[in-house]
Amino acid sequence: MPELLEMRGIVRCFGALRANDGIDLDVRAGQIVGLLGENGSGKSTLMNVLFGMLPSDSGKIIFRGRELSGHRPRDAIAAGIAMIHQHFMLVDAMTVVENVMLGWPAAGRVLRTAEMADRIRQASRRFGLDLEPFAHVGNLPLGRKQRVEILKAILREADLLILDEPTSNLAPTEVADLLKILRSLRGEGKGIIFISHKLPEVLELCDDIVVLRDGRVTGRVPAAGASRARLAEMMVGRDITAPHAPLPHTPGEVRLAVRNISVPGLSGLSFEIRGGEILGVAGVDGNGQIELAETLTGLRRAESGTILLDAVDITCAPVAARVRAGMAYMPADRSSTALVRNMSVAENLMLRDSDRSPYVRGAVLARQPLTAKAQELITEYDIRASGPGVIVARLSGGNQQKIVVARELDRAPAVLVAHQAAWGLDPGATRFVLDRVIALRNAGAAVLYISSELEEVFAISDRIAVMADGCFAGLVSRAEADRGQIGLWMSGRAA
Amino acid sequence: MSEPTSSLRIAVPEQTRRVGFRLQPGDRLVVRILIAVLLSMLCAGALVAISGHDPIAAFIALVTGAVGSPHQIGAALNRTTPYLLAGGGVAMCFRAGIINIGAEGQIAVGGMGTAAIALVWSNDLSALATAAALLGGAAAGAVWAGVATAIHLGRRVHEVLATLLLNFVALLLVQQVLAGPLGQFGAGFLQSPLLPRATWLPRIPPFNAHVGFLIAIIAAAALSFTLWRTRFGFALRVAGNSRRAASYAGFSLPLLTWSVMLLAGALAGIAGGIEVLGLHRRLIEGFSLGFGFKAVTVALLGALEPLAIVPAALFVGLLEAGSLSMQRQIGVPSALVVVIEGLTMLFVLAATVRRL
Repeated sequence: MPELLEMRGIVRCFGALRANDGIDLDVRAGQIVGLLGENGSGKSTLMNVLFGMLPSDSGKIIFRGRELSGHRPRDAIAAGIAMIHQHFMLVDAMTVVENVMLGWPAAGRVLRTAEMADRIRQASRRFGLDLEPFAHVGNLPLGRKQRVEILKAILREADLLILDEPTSNLAPTEVADLLKILRSLRGEGKGIIFISHKLPEVLELCDDIVVLRDGRVTGRVPAAGASRARLAEMMVGRDITAPHAPLPHTPGEVRLAVRNISVPGLSGLSFEIRGGEILGVAGVDGNGQIELAETLTGLRRAESGTILLDAVDITCAPVAARVRAGMAYMPADRSSTALVRNMSVAENLMLRDSDRSPYVRGAVLARQPLTAKAQELITEYDIRASGPGVIVARLSGGNQQKIVVARELDRAPAVLVAHQAAWGLDPGATRFVLDRVIALRNAGAAVLYISSELEEVFAISDRIAVMADGCFAGLVSRAEADRGQIGLWMSGRAA
Repeated sequence: MSEPTSSLRIAVPEQTRRVGFRLQPGDRLVVRILIAVLLSMLCAGALVAISGHDPIAAFIALVTGAVGSPHQIGAALNRTTPYLLAGGGVAMCFRAGIINIGAEGQIAVGGMGTAAIALVWSNDLSALATAAALLGGAAAGAVWAGVATAIHLGRRVHEVLATLLLNFVALLLVQQVLAGPLGQFGAGFLQSPLLPRATWLPRIPPFNAHVGFLIAIIAAAALSFTLWRTRFGFALRVAGNSRRAASYAGFSLPLLTWSVMLLAGALAGIAGGIEVLGLHRRLIEGFSLGFGFKAVTVALLGALEPLAIVPAALFVGLLEAGSLSMQRQIGVPSALVVVIEGLTMLFVLAATVRRL
């Protein structure tokens, strides 16, 4: 069968980072290609280049024998490429047929609603979508909403469908239905790119599997005969040189004890961290990490269970009380939780400490001491800003995160919860953050280090837990950790 | 914790949030606002010309009508006072990301509270009587804002709806009270009896302005200090920028909402009380019609900066004070001033909101 899509030598850089470093990808008509890779391996960048949302720095895209270059999403759609995003682009208040007609010239200037509804019913029957044209999209479950997106692609006669993490929000039965629909689309000669972290699905559905790591293709194998362990290894790699091996730890008393905490998305989690110990939490995003971090730090209320910090029950303590008790937190969301982008460096450095000296006298902010303290932290943590009054939004991502690090560590906390603390940072800033966290551990604090970057977790942790589906799929000491096993735990169903 | 999701939170001009420690002199924001005011005046001039009058003469009549004599200045300052007080409270709410447009009702209820206290007050000591009556107004305004806050936080009704709809209830409540317990029997008009002389606001001699203007200036300075120099003000600014960051910082969002709403309600209540004690010396139906919405105009015109609201309120106050003499002398309808106010609002929003 002829090639439907040929991508050759795609390169795309963000600053010094080569997000795509010469990637080739081929898809034939009637073929499902699985695209595997960790966060940051370059999958999304590659798809954004293909769909015309990002220009490539070099490389060639040939789709149905015609070269696409300098194209925009509109051109990609016209050429017959459909992208189904993780977050659906649907109007909840409208019906299925209205959503299908939205922005589609073929629906006519005066909308031909009845005719479109007929076409929807036909397509729905043919591919087993089970969609009622006049149902309101807002009332549909997630799996059905996704089918509306697929339906849009089918009716617009797309030849190539890109599905970005299509199963991450679906229940198991919905996943099974989705896979069935995708197989019937393959039967009609469509090409499909299926992006996922989840090995079992990819193995079950795809014809060929392409694995990306660090912006390069590390392997293309037929799904038949590929083993999970082999794929996990290609994804994670093994020649990872840890940037620094932390000193062997001599754990002290238990500083953080979590017993059986539950919130929606987190089911009955229990663990302990001792002083001088880093517990690294690996796992694919969206498996309960944010719930865990926010429940520990007080942004979410635990529905059941207890949290003890230095043997004091803080389960129901408000955020400020937890900070006073010694809980530090570096949230994954830097732009609107960890920092106030439109406020100054000095104000962000006192964000969580404005009730303490040197920042405040009575209820009045102490100007000079505040600025002096900010200047001190700027120097100590090497924050590259021209002064304490600079607006944080003007700083680079690395320097923004240094503000968070400075603020949270200057308090000399008993427990640190760090969530994606080095995410998106360049190697220098990453190293800086990791070194500071390790220094805090060596000073006797307990650290919970949550990251979807497995390499970071390996580099920094004394023990490693893997989160899947709101609980720990496994917990091992680093010495005993086996990358293949960890990859399997990450992929959802343990072997 | 109540956090209704809404797209209305963007109603605060983005530029005003980009200020660091305080509004820098020569900040381009100031220039933008001045240009916006100038453009609106030019448009208004064009309208006057179209209607067949001389725009220059109309402008001169407007200015002399506002500042031509000490008495006229005094009248303009009296006009300015309620906008300044209520506008300051509105600005604090907007800074915290709470769109309070209930000043209208809070002013009305504040006037009612002041009148009620003044009518039952029997002490002849003037300062005490006035202070008690104004405090009554502040309390009444705060209660009215508190009702909106309780509905907003308790029932998750969006604050715009809660504050806006209570305005109408407040106006009807004042009417009802004037038709009953506080009303003057046989006046032929919904008003209270004249308030005891001890409660009247003293006047400043050459201008004949009441001391309410001074109270408003002091309040603006206090608000500016609160916003930029206190921990409470810091919490408000953090919450206005990001509610999640405020939670992360350990500030209680419900507590912040309560505090700033009660503060704004009290300020609006005092504004109403000052109108009653300083100008009318009795409670009159509809004495505050439109004040609350002008307070929003003034707050935005002043870029939500309490000190910058002083010139903004003066601008509106002077315009309105001068409009009547412009109508008398040139024949340009005083309603033109309403058009200028609207145009100014549009231009200022166009100049300050960065992108939708």
